Amino acid sequence: MHKLEHKLYEELGTLTRFVDSAMKAISAASPQIMSGSTQLPAAVSHLSDLSKMTEDGTLEVMRLTEMIQDNHGRIAKDLSAITEVLQTMDCPTLAGRLGNVTSVLAQDGKCLTEIMTALSFQDLVAQRVKKLVSILDEVQGRLMELVVVFGLQESCEAARDAGTAGDLLKQLEKSNTTAMKQKVADDILAQFGFK
Amino acid sequence: MAVDPNMRILVVDDMVTMRRIVKNILKQLGFANTDEAENGQEALQKLRADTYGFVVSDWNMPVMTGIDMLRAIRADEKLKATPVLMVTAEAQQSNLIEAVQAGVSNYIVKPFTAETLQEKIAKIFK
Repeated sequence: MHKLEHKLYEELGTLTRFVDSAMKAISAASPQIMSGSTQLPAAVSHLSDLSKMTEDGTLEVMRLTEMIQDNHGRIAKDLSAITEVLQTMDCPTLAGRLGNVTSVLAQDGKCLTEIMTALSFQDLVAQRVKKLVSILDEVQGRLMELVVVFGLQESCEAARDAGTAGDLLKQLEKSNTTAMKQKVADDILAQFGFK
Repeated sequence: MAVDPNMRILVVDDMVTMRRIVKNILKQLGFANTDEAENGQEALQKLRADTYGFVVSDWNMPVMTGIDMLRAIRADEKLKATPVLMVTAEAQQSNLIEAVQAGVSNYIVKPFTAETLQEKIAKIFK
């Protein structure tokens, strides 16, 4: 019986030392945890601002691009009418030159369409930002649990949490590698009879 | 089936920039009769209230996703024949298979080009 009690005390002693050591470690990390939990809302806010700023910039580029597209449309229409008149007046050289201008306008039109298409980057950025915000929300929730469970006190200056940043990057990288290209999508569609 | 350039096209995306891009490209391709909706639910309301010949939809949207909207369209006697093109960054094989099983007419992965959109429209309406 004494032997058993002795063993039990030993186990309890080990457990107590472990808890004490864990509490000290958490306490030592307290500034970083507090700093992280208080800075994350600001990080979320920065990311949301980033999303809004790219949207505003994209919409402005779109507005100007659409304006140029409309102007090109009007110019092309006028050029076409002038070319017709010149042809009836037997001015093939001038008509030919106007034809060249029309073809340059058409090339520019293609470039403008490509500019519009390229602006879809904003949608992809916004989706990544959304993912980051949800990851940050999750991290913040976990940190707050630590703060509540261990009663950590706010004490100090900011500290970097390289581990968290690393995890975020890994998640982003993972989502990038799981993305599928159009060619792969087409191959799969072909297997389902899409031709 | 020849493509009717006057057909009414509904562009569904929660991002205003994407709606504008898709509408712009459609216009450059000769389809100027377009309308837009911010999510699947709004799109369904519009589809039930008006006549549309074609739907171009995103996948990830609040309120109702593109895939749920697609299922609702296919389950609706009046709408089920409407061609639906999914334009999405949700580009995992499982998503594509899910879309095919739900009755998608074709699928474009973002970012895409005007040529890709033109090619898909031609395939849907050939």
